[in-house]
Amino acid sequence: MNGSGVPLAAFVTAMLAAGLVAAVPLVLAALGEAVGEKSGLLNLGIEGMMLAGAFFGFLAAFQTGSAVLGVLGGIAAGAVLGLVFAALTVSLRVDQVLVGLAITIFGGGLTAFLYRDIFGGQNPSLNVDAPRIAIPLLSRIPVAGPAMFNQGVLFYLAFALVPAFAFVLARTRFGLQVRAVGEYPFAADAAGVDVTRTRYLAALIAGSMAGLAGAFLAVADLKIFQVGMTVGMGFIALALTMVGGWNPYRILLASVLFGLLRSLGNGLQILGIDVRTEFITMLPYIGIMIALAILAGRTSIPAALGIPYARGRR
Amino acid sequence: MTRGALVPSRFAPVLTSLAAIVAAMILGGVFLAMRGKDPLAAYGMLFSRGLGTSYGITETLIRMAPLLIVSAGLLISLRAGVWNIGIDGQLMVGALFAGVVASAVAGQIANPLMWLAAALAGMGGGLLWALVPAILRVRWGLNEIITTLMMNYVALNVTSWLVKGPVKDPNVVPPQTRLIPQEMRLPDIAGSGVHIGLLVGLVVVLLVSVLFRNTVVGFMLDILGRNRQAAIHAGMPVNRLTLVALLASGALAGLAGANDILGVKGLFQGNWNPGYGFAAFALVYLARLHSLWIIPFAYFLSFLAIGGEMMARPLGIPTYFVEMLEGLMLLCFAVATYFERIRSPFGRAEEIETGPATAGEPPGPLVGDPVFEPVARSAGGRP
Repeated sequence: MNGSGVPLAAFVTAMLAAGLVAAVPLVLAALGEAVGEKSGLLNLGIEGMMLAGAFFGFLAAFQTGSAVLGVLGGIAAGAVLGLVFAALTVSLRVDQVLVGLAITIFGGGLTAFLYRDIFGGQNPSLNVDAPRIAIPLLSRIPVAGPAMFNQGVLFYLAFALVPAFAFVLARTRFGLQVRAVGEYPFAADAAGVDVTRTRYLAALIAGSMAGLAGAFLAVADLKIFQVGMTVGMGFIALALTMVGGWNPYRILLASVLFGLLRSLGNGLQILGIDVRTEFITMLPYIGIMIALAILAGRTSIPAALGIPYARGRR
Repeated sequence: MTRGALVPSRFAPVLTSLAAIVAAMILGGVFLAMRGKDPLAAYGMLFSRGLGTSYGITETLIRMAPLLIVSAGLLISLRAGVWNIGIDGQLMVGALFAGVVASAVAGQIANPLMWLAAALAGMGGGLLWALVPAILRVRWGLNEIITTLMMNYVALNVTSWLVKGPVKDPNVVPPQTRLIPQEMRLPDIAGSGVHIGLLVGLVVVLLVSVLFRNTVVGFMLDILGRNRQAAIHAGMPVNRLTLVALLASGALAGLAGANDILGVKGLFQGNWNPGYGFAAFALVYLARLHSLWIIPFAYFLSFLAIGGEMMARPLGIPTYFVEMLEGLMLLCFAVATYFERIRSPFGRAEEIETGPATAGEPPGPLVGDPVFEPVARSAGGRP
């Protein structure tokens, strides 16, 4: 059946778990990005914000020995860069792609510089406990149970945030304001919505979520920091946001599919099935492009996405 | 508002960049000081070793060659309002193609012919990689920001697979193409230690300059970048121009890859990615999307990278400091363009006329605004 003698059920469980865990940072970052984009902000700085979240989360956890403080540190780092993004694109009305890429370059350079400067040639790992919580009964479901219901706190939080974001965007006053300033800020402004404030808040949420995603990687999942450890996950989250059509549930679906495809590659290798890993690894990226091509024209893009707003100028 | 002459100096845009660079270096110095390093000593060594030693100058000139080519290509796409963020992938595929072709024909045909073949292969590889996002953009209206980014990761995997299998040098263990012997690589410019790829880079920049100054295609690309609606109204072949912009910048990225293979490395290794893409992005913006200004700024950024490496060991400052500095420069540049805009007597009026302000540069495409969007609908005009 398989070369390595691993029982199939355990193998499927492990692969499922790996795929879901891989989806967590993507879901977190993409949810934040969705709020930002719904408000009209295209944030290419998400990669740099994730790295900042990963590094400062790691640093805080390393210094204090507390995983909670680490995660908070990561969120704070992402939030600060989110504010920088908002200040430049909303207040100064500079091009969003330019500012986003600048933040990504800066975030990569800053975290790599500080990590090497503080830790020298060493690559310490965190000695914090991020306990797994097994949910009674559910975690005993064969195969899927251990993968889905025996995980860390942030894992559950990521999936719980999906309906929360969907509710906020669709059903609350703030969500309506976000959507309004992203569709037609002139009308929103005329109706009394503070466009600047709404976009700042959206950028803050996008930054914090990217920071949280990075902190999940470094503090909860891997317990180490590596230079450039996000390896493009921020950009992938950006793409998944679009694939998911800015809808939290579809974003979740897209992220989980992406994560499972990723873990499938590793899984087939372990099983000893001779497939070039490279082909499997690149499948999700090609999948994103195909999905975007299929969905092109079927999703409604926030009309004011990428466009700065200045009162009285249209 | 009324400060400054009505007709701004030709150097005014570059002064904004210089101000941004100075501000970024001051901020970078603050970071150094906070980490307990002496910023003055660091910058002193950076400049004295990077600019004042023959090793520094030679290495800077060698590094400059691919950067010039990549940036000239990126300039074409940005001037046309097309975001090619897939430079790295296009460069990798171009480098691999060049490495394979060069090692296949090396020694069998005259060296100059071999270089030409490898350069063409590199350009073909880069072009091929830009073709996918270009078609997706023109045919399905997919925004090229996402697709070019995704193609980077596909390139990483495809090149890694190719050098492990089909095009691997069977005589060595590590995944790489066959080595081109030293004597068959690009020769130095008259005993300077700098290979002639630098001249290729300078020629490419000049050609791109001619493209935008003297040709109809360059003019149309400029119009497309400045005002897409105007280009559509004027009946310009918007789709074809978009295609040209992306393919040209992809081909030049591939040529830059070939340049590194033929001039410096001699072979393509798995997972080799010099990451010129982001540097080129900073460079082209600091050069204010002006072709000839690319040359001094390419020298400056190359010098920073080399100087950063040279000061790293003696002062214990990680080389990543330079990468951070590049990010800071781009951030400061973004701020500087704002002040430039509000000080300009035309700035505000322009903003009203042409819609939302970008960084004082030709605006990028509206996200998700499909190029192929029926002209009839576009002609109706967006709000």
